Amino acid sequence: MQFGVFTVGDVTPDPTTGRTPTEAERIKAMVAIALKAEEVGLDVFATGEHHNPPFVPSSPTTMLGYIAARTERLILSTATTLITTNDPVKIAEDFAMLQHLADGRVDLIMGRGNTGPVYPWFGKDIRDGIDLAIENYHLLHRLWREDVVDWEGKHRTPLQSFTSTPRPLDDVPPFVWHGSIRSPEIAEQAAYYGDGFFANNIFWPKEHFIRLINLYRERFEHYGHGKANQAIVGLGGQVFMRRNSQDAVREFRPYFDNAPVYGHGPSLEEFTSQTPLTVGSPQEVIDRTLTFREHFGDYQRQLFLMDHAGLPLKTVLEQLDLLGEIVPVLRREFATGRPAEVPDAPTHQSLLATRAGVR
Amino acid sequence: MTSLAVVSAGLGEPSSSHLLADRLAAGVGALLPVDVRTAHLRDVARDIADNLVTGFPSARLKAVVDDVVGADGLIVVTPTFNASYSGLFKSFFDVLEPESLVGKPVLIGATGGTERHSLVLDYALRPLFAYMKAAVVPTGVYAASVDWGSPQGLADRVDRAAAELAAAMEGKPATKPVERFVPFEQLLKGRS
Repeated sequence: MQFGVFTVGDVTPDPTTGRTPTEAERIKAMVAIALKAEEVGLDVFATGEHHNPPFVPSSPTTMLGYIAARTERLILSTATTLITTNDPVKIAEDFAMLQHLADGRVDLIMGRGNTGPVYPWFGKDIRDGIDLAIENYHLLHRLWREDVVDWEGKHRTPLQSFTSTPRPLDDVPPFVWHGSIRSPEIAEQAAYYGDGFFANNIFWPKEHFIRLINLYRERFEHYGHGKANQAIVGLGGQVFMRRNSQDAVREFRPYFDNAPVYGHGPSLEEFTSQTPLTVGSPQEVIDRTLTFREHFGDYQRQLFLMDHAGLPLKTVLEQLDLLGEIVPVLRREFATGRPAEVPDAPTHQSLLATRAGVR
Repeated sequence: MTSLAVVSAGLGEPSSSHLLADRLAAGVGALLPVDVRTAHLRDVARDIADNLVTGFPSARLKAVVDDVVGADGLIVVTPTFNASYSGLFKSFFDVLEPESLVGKPVLIGATGGTERHSLVLDYALRPLFAYMKAAVVPTGVYAASVDWGSPQGLADRVDRAAAELAAAMEGKPATKPVERFVPFEQLLKGRS
C-alpha cells in the first residue's frame, strides 16, 4: 500500500500570528514538504492545480520536475490535474516529459475543478464539466497509446496526423486516477478504463464516498478489469498529531476554526465525528485510519492533507516526522488479512512488468 | 401510510408560525390518514448554517431533510421578515439537493403582524417553490395577528388549502429523487 501527502497549495494567513507567507515562501515550502515526505519514508507527493488566488500551484509539472531532480524514490502525482480546462494535448506532452525526467515516478489524479470563473478564463463553461472530463480524457488516453492520432470532438480543434511527443517512457502511459466528490459519472469513467478512483474523503462524511467507491468497484468488475475487490482505490485523509492528544487539539483548534473550507462552521469536535479528520495522538490517527479499510474495502493509496489552513512549515515538517513514525505501523496493519488477490497500486515498473508478461 | 412533512420557521415560543403549521396539518389529517413529521427549523438553525459552510448536513439535519424529501406532501410556514420569508427558512431550502422537491405537493403558509404583508405568499414563497418545481397548491394561507381573534376567515382558508393539499397528495404517487446513473458508452457517444 502507498502512503503520501497531498497539498492544495493555498496561501493562508497563520491565524495564530496573522502572518501570510509570500508566494515564494509557500512554493518553497511545498517543495520542502515533498523532500521531507521522501526523507520520512512516504511513497507519494501530490500537488493541487489552481488558477486563482490564494493558491500558487498553477504549473504542476514545473514543480514536480524540480522535485524529481531532488528525490530518488518518491512518486510524483497531482491532486488534481484539471482535465476540464487544460488542453489534453498539453497534459499528454507535459506529463510524458515529466515521466522521462523522473524515470517513471509519475502518475496523475484527474479532477474537474469547481471554481466557476476558471472555466471561462480558459474558454470553457462549467456546465460542460462532465462532458469536458469525458471527452478530454478520452483524447488524452489515445494520445498516450497511439503514435498518430486523428481526432474530432466538441471541445477543441480537430487533430489530423498528430503525434504527442515525447512518447510515454517505455511506451507505458502514466497511471491515472480519477477524483470526484459527488459525480457517479466519474466513478463510471474510472471503471470503464480500468483506471484508479480517488475519493478525497476529507470534507464530507464517509457514507457519501462509500456509495461512489462501491459503484466504481462494481462497474470495474462489469467492464472486465478484475473483481470488484481488485479495483484501484485511493483515499484522502486529514490529520494533526501531537504525542499528547490534548496538545494536538489545543494547537490545531485555531487553524481549524479559521480554515478556508470549513472554518466558522461546525466545532472541531463535531467535524471530527462527522468526517475523517483526526486530531490527536499518533495512536488515535493509526486507529482511525485503519477504520477506512472497514468502510471502503482493501485499498491501494492513502494520501494525507497536512499543510493547509495556514499551518507554518516548521509545524508541517514536525507532522511529517510523526507520519513517518506511524506509516510502518499502518503498512503492517493494512497488510494483515489483506487477500493476496488484491493488487498494489500500479507503478511504472509494475506496468512495465505486466506488459512484458503479456508479451 | 401517506406521509406529510411540516416545516415551520417560527422563532418564538409559542410561535404563530408553528400554530398555523399545526392547524394546516390537522386540516389535512381530517381528510386523509397521514403520518405527520413536524420540523421546527429553530431546532436545527446552527446545523443549517454549518451545512452552508461545509456542504453536508449533520446527522440531525439530515433526518429532517430526509423527512421532507421523502414525504408525499409538504406544508411550509415562515414568519414574514422584511417583506419576505425569513433567512432561516430560505437557508433550509438552499441546502436541499437540486431537484429534491420536483413534483411534490406543497402548501405554503406565512405569518405576520399585519395583513398588509399577505402578498408575501405570492411574491416570495410561490416563486421559490415554483423554481424548485414543486406542485404548490392554489391556496396559500397567511395569518396576521388579528386573524387569531377573528371568528371566521382563517379557519375557512385553512380548510380550503388543506383540502387542496390532501387532494394533491391522493392524486399522485410521491416522486422520490432517483440516483442519476449514465453508462459510459452513453457518456462517450459521438466521440471516436
